[in-house]
Amino acid sequence: MTTLIVVVGIVVYITLYLTYGKKLEKEFVKADDNIKTPAVRFDDGVDYIPSKAPVLFGHHFASIAGAAPIIGPVLAMAWGWVPALLWVWFGNIFIGAVHDYLSLMASVRYDGKSIQFVASDLITKRTGRLFYWLVFFLLILVIAAFGAVVNGMFVGTPEIPTAYIMKIAAALILGVLIYRVKMNFTLATIIGIILLGLSIWGGSMLPIVASKGTWYIIIFFYIIIASAIPVNVLLQPRDYLNSWLLYLGLIVGAIAAVFSFQGFTAPAFTSFAPIVSGGKATPFWPAIVLIIACGSLSGFHSLVASGTTSKQLEKESDGLKIGYGSMLTEGFLSTLVVVSVAGFGLELMVGKGMDITTSNWGTNYTSSMMGSYPKAAMFTGSYAAMVASTWLKFIPTKIVQIIAGMWVASFAMTTLDTTNRLGRYTFAEILSPLKDKNEGVYNFFTNRWIASLVPAVIGIYLAWSGNFTILWPSFGTANQLIASIALLTGVSWITKRQKTKGTFALIPAYLLWITVTAAIIWFSAVVLPGTIMSNPVTGITVLVIEVIMLIMNIIFIIDFLKHKDDPLDA
Amino acid sequence: MSNKIVSKIKNFISGVEYVHRDQAVSHTLWEERELENIFTLLLMGSFSGIPAPPAFISAELIPLLTHELKIFNNRAENSFDTLAEMTGVLGID
Repeated sequence: MTTLIVVVGIVVYITLYLTYGKKLEKEFVKADDNIKTPAVRFDDGVDYIPSKAPVLFGHHFASIAGAAPIIGPVLAMAWGWVPALLWVWFGNIFIGAVHDYLSLMASVRYDGKSIQFVASDLITKRTGRLFYWLVFFLLILVIAAFGAVVNGMFVGTPEIPTAYIMKIAAALILGVLIYRVKMNFTLATIIGIILLGLSIWGGSMLPIVASKGTWYIIIFFYIIIASAIPVNVLLQPRDYLNSWLLYLGLIVGAIAAVFSFQGFTAPAFTSFAPIVSGGKATPFWPAIVLIIACGSLSGFHSLVASGTTSKQLEKESDGLKIGYGSMLTEGFLSTLVVVSVAGFGLELMVGKGMDITTSNWGTNYTSSMMGSYPKAAMFTGSYAAMVASTWLKFIPTKIVQIIAGMWVASFAMTTLDTTNRLGRYTFAEILSPLKDKNEGVYNFFTNRWIASLVPAVIGIYLAWSGNFTILWPSFGTANQLIASIALLTGVSWITKRQKTKGTFALIPAYLLWITVTAAIIWFSAVVLPGTIMSNPVTGITVLVIEVIMLIMNIIFIIDFLKHKDDPLDA
Repeated sequence: MSNKIVSKIKNFISGVEYVHRDQAVSHTLWEERELENIFTLLLMGSFSGIPAPPAFISAELIPLLTHELKIFNNRAENSFDTLAEMTGVLGID
């Protein structure tokens, strides 16, 4: 079954890329290689650089693929593997990939300007400004959700923090070798990969056992320091090592999934509303968008696509491979996650002595993962079991588990400190109206350390005090709200600038907006009251963010509907 | 036929190698670019009201900055639109 689903997945993705994707390209985007892209027109060798499609694909994919396409599908397995897989495929092909592709191409036709700028031009200036607020909320919730992921992994698998700490040391050494000693790049890379291997081995030898609170304090100081030091010291070499982990993990996972020939032991379908978020019955619609984010669609991708990728696209015809194709590849990563948990998850949980069977899966699956067996460990354990069931079994299972754990932990940690960097910037932008009114207050809050502290304190506090099944969907609401705005902006671009009806994109865009709005209302009305009762500060903080986002969402749709038929200036 | 396949494989490997090289320097280049922005602003600052260095130094340096001036112009235009770029550079997800 594992093999069958992976092969069917590959066939579905290729077929729809060649049919639906090509239709989008020809009829709606009207990609034309005679139109020079901004990368060619403004080629300055610095900001605008025409890049070959495979190179740009590698960059774009590395930017959009992180820990989220792994965690979301693991949680969504509570509905059973069929709903999880269908949403990954459906959402990915008809919404997420369309969203990424339209954001990229709209930006290309706007001289490489961001989707935020395009929204300001096509809808209203207010829409553009809403982006800052939404992104700021999203960043806080990302810190909370990913902080909880990392903490769960560090507590649950004590080999991973040791490996991660040793990897940081390896990254610092690699940074010195590449940027200070200026060692030959290939040689430095080989040394870096050996050090990475040693850190994985070292992790298996010297596990560090510490409490949840201790790790939160360490993570808090880590993200403040890591987000403030120059990028070439830690961030750059560490991300470079991460990219090796990503490709290694994907290749080994794909090979293992194809050759494992394992039947699925997880149920195909549990119920429409199993227990997922906040201990409440969670309806598949609309809540699925809050659980599976990046594997099927993510608002962050619109910013990545329109921020850097659009400035490097050499030909318009490459846009489909990069915008649409990268998202399909990320969907394939989520498919691997669903396959590994469906094939090996039940055995693993029973092996840990948990009270779970196919018949009580809907009620016990999520709560089992919130206890002694964290959600990320579900993926790393299933992944390692899947690899062990193939001819790759010569690699010790513990080592594979640490590699998978490092893969998730590294991306989650990277997300934490890069998010904090961006949070600092967004916070300063939001406060800019204060600059003229009260310069002293503005200068105080935009100070590098204070601006770093604000998102980190709120995020880590939420992670420490909150329940992961509350934090993850909260992160999902902000992310999908941005996706919804970006997709409707893409539709505006198709109808106003491309002068086509855009029904193909308009239906998924409306569907997404309605689903996200319904999900926020359901989450705020059904799930959060329980959290407010048990944990008032966390519950109220999340509720306030949700309500503000809901109001912004309604303002946005009013603006969109009001201006959708307005003529453009030029 | 076999030559074609070999050259495709070679192209693919060189693409992977290029991506990895770039992964190893992209953030550093971004930070360097920000430092260059400050340097250019110091030289060209009179346009935006920042006192310029002595005229003879500027005059001597300006011919070396033709390319940078082009970039400077682009960046001035895009300076209010950096959120998406930062997200892309930092690769948050």
